[in-house]
Amino acid sequence: MDTRIRPRFLIGSGLIVAAIGYLIISSIRSTSEYYLTVPEVSARAPELRGQSLRIAGRVKPGSIAWDPSTLTLKFAIYPIPPAANSPAANDPVRPVVIDEAPSFNIVSEGEPKPDMFAPNRDVIVEGKLERDGTIAATQVMTSCPSKYRPAGAK
Amino acid sequence: MPDLGKLCLAIALLLAIYSIFANIYGARRGRADFIVSARHALWAMCAMVTIAVITLWNGLLGSDFKLEYVASYSSTTLPTVYKFTALWGGQQGSLLFWTWLLSIFTSIAAFQNRRRNPDTAPYALAVMAGVAIFFLFMLNFVTRPFDLLSPVPAEGSDLNPLLQNYWMAIHPPSLYTGYVSSTVPFAFGAAALITGKLDDSWIRSTRRWAIVSWFFLTLGNIFGARWAYEVLGWGGYWAWDPVENAAFMPWLVMTAYLHSVMIQERKDMLKVWNLALIGLAFSLTLFGTFITRSGVISSVHSFTQSGLGPYFLAFLIAVVACYTALLIWRSPDLRSPAEFESYLSREAAFLFNNLVLVGIAFAVFWGTIFPVLSEWVRGVKITVGPPFFNRVNGPLALALIFLMGVGPLIAWRRTTADRLVRSFAAPVALGVAAGLIAVLCGIHEWYAVTGFSLAAFVLGTIVVEFRRGVSARRHMVSEPPARALVNLVAKNNRRYGGYIIHLGVLAAFVGIIGSSFFKMEVKKSVAVGDSFSIGSFTLKYLGLDEHENAHLEQATARLAVLNYGRQTTVMTPAKLFYKRQQQPATAVAIRSTPFADLYVVLAGLDDNGNRATFEVFLTPLVIWLWAGGCLMAIGTVVVMWPNVRERAALAVAVGRGRAEEYAGEAAPGGGR
Repeated sequence: MDTRIRPRFLIGSGLIVAAIGYLIISSIRSTSEYYLTVPEVSARAPELRGQSLRIAGRVKPGSIAWDPSTLTLKFAIYPIPPAANSPAANDPVRPVVIDEAPSFNIVSEGEPKPDMFAPNRDVIVEGKLERDGTIAATQVMTSCPSKYRPAGAK
Repeated sequence: MPDLGKLCLAIALLLAIYSIFANIYGARRGRADFIVSARHALWAMCAMVTIAVITLWNGLLGSDFKLEYVASYSSTTLPTVYKFTALWGGQQGSLLFWTWLLSIFTSIAAFQNRRRNPDTAPYALAVMAGVAIFFLFMLNFVTRPFDLLSPVPAEGSDLNPLLQNYWMAIHPPSLYTGYVSSTVPFAFGAAALITGKLDDSWIRSTRRWAIVSWFFLTLGNIFGARWAYEVLGWGGYWAWDPVENAAFMPWLVMTAYLHSVMIQERKDMLKVWNLALIGLAFSLTLFGTFITRSGVISSVHSFTQSGLGPYFLAFLIAVVACYTALLIWRSPDLRSPAEFESYLSREAAFLFNNLVLVGIAFAVFWGTIFPVLSEWVRGVKITVGPPFFNRVNGPLALALIFLMGVGPLIAWRRTTADRLVRSFAAPVALGVAAGLIAVLCGIHEWYAVTGFSLAAFVLGTIVVEFRRGVSARRHMVSEPPARALVNLVAKNNRRYGGYIIHLGVLAAFVGIIGSSFFKMEVKKSVAVGDSFSIGSFTLKYLGLDEHENAHLEQATARLAVLNYGRQTTVMTPAKLFYKRQQQPATAVAIRSTPFADLYVVLAGLDDNGNRATFEVFLTPLVIWLWAGGCLMAIGTVVVMWPNVRERAALAVAVGRGRAEEYAGEAAPGGGR
């Protein structure tokens, strides 16, 4: 009387669980993309060529070119300095760093310029690393200041 | 005033600690006086937290910037209603709000059970007090809402503009209510395990709490989706962001729980499963808070690392470990005599529905934590985006919809082939017809065709159920059809309310298919006077209006909208700029019809507004998602409506309990 579920129900349930497991595994394989920072991409550039990437970086001042008639946005990203999650990252007057640090040129076509896009803002770029080292972006996301941002932002 | 808030939170913590010991001591030694005292302590705790909340509200409404919280999330120019909602706009405030809800629900549960469940209620209340202790500890020592600033700033830094929206005013409270009310069934489940009273009384006495929790989780998810749709301006409503997943997973598990408890009530099966589900649902609410506050998982809404993560993780692990240990300890007593007899039975359909729902929850969980896991295991952060979630959950959703049609029509225990054919002939025909029509209309995606066809099939089964009930009533009491329908629902509100919820799910499902597979998108930069088109619509940019007040600047574009060449309306998407936070925001223009939404975003302005970039979406059927949400809410209210039969049963139970309580009060030192 102990068995609450007969063997054939175990088989049915097992099949469902196996199907769900298979769906998860196969989908992870086919949809995963690397989530990298700018230095990581530059270190592994050859093997990443042609892959789908998500790159976190900061918009380089002076690199932005925006053509509204064709919706083409070109800019460069450089590494986010450590402790970049602090609210100071949103401070537009923060001193600009590093010229010798690795940077990547991003080309985004056919997408409007994001609202909060500005020099020294942190962005997440989704796209492919091209042969010439530029990144063809399918999406540029500005990480919005958290709703739980602590005080101190100017 | 801030000192009053601090003091109240400290007293509330002491009261919660006292009530745990008093409850447990009272229950072990049979001392009714201690149990009564513990109950009063919980009520006093609720009063203390309430005073703290009022104190913070008072600070927000009075723009008292010496309070750090007020200075961070409010300003003098913030509209009053958002000063009010800023209570849950920031971390400390939202934890305070959470604690407040928890203390209110604990008090209500204490009141409800002052005579009922004399064996288990003290332990359940002790569990709730334990949860309250964790939150009160956080509020007293880790993230304090009444911290002061010095020097006092002249002006606050304002609430995030994205939160200055009415959906955001009501989304967090509903979600939190849903989260927090799951604590009550969880606590009674834990109490059942602790005391070994493992019959279904813990389910029966918290059934309404579970439904309330589900109701608010549903609303919370729908409001959140609606907020994303109206405010974020990307034309969608769901992006499988970790923050969204955190709200979705408890909903899935709670849905599974509400179905599987019916099997236990009817057939005395799945006891372990139900206890595990409610434990899982509660843990997922903590997990959701953990991932949104810890910064472990990067979200586009990048929540700053706030140092709360480790505390929540520790509490989560403690809860899961204790609860699992209790379950294992009691598992020999949880064997049930009944067993599954046939695949063609309602309990089998419910079992599979549970597996699929928990499977979806697991897939969402896996996809959410995958970046963290891959970083641990392989040293590389690998993310999975919406494609992963859609690929996994798409087929599972179809299975779920199918089971939703099958479950209610087949009998408990087993069904004969003959009855099966009779019940399902008409719905299957409807489903096939809908599929054929979809193909003839030129829809080729197999998923959309299957989805529409299944939706029609399930709609058919629900109609069959209503028709069967109405005609039975008309035979028995000869009522006119409309009256019979109303009485049918009123007399069997649990069952027919459930069907109304199913109708809502169907509507939402159709809305999701329509908006996922047939969305059109046009991005265009145009000069004043130029036109462009999407679908049957032509949009002409007429010009820009600018407008400014103390709080924000606003640039509104005027677009003439022509449908099939006929002037239909003027739409006015706008760009806002919030001065205090120096932050831009988008005000989307939406024109909804039952067939499709025209959704216009003013994405950019160049050349002093003589040129504007628009992003326009034509999203079919999306309105049915919101309509489905409303139907689910209405159905849930019908389910919760007290009906005569249940009230009579309750009166009997209460009467029995009252006798016991009188016995307790008569004991020496009993009563107050």
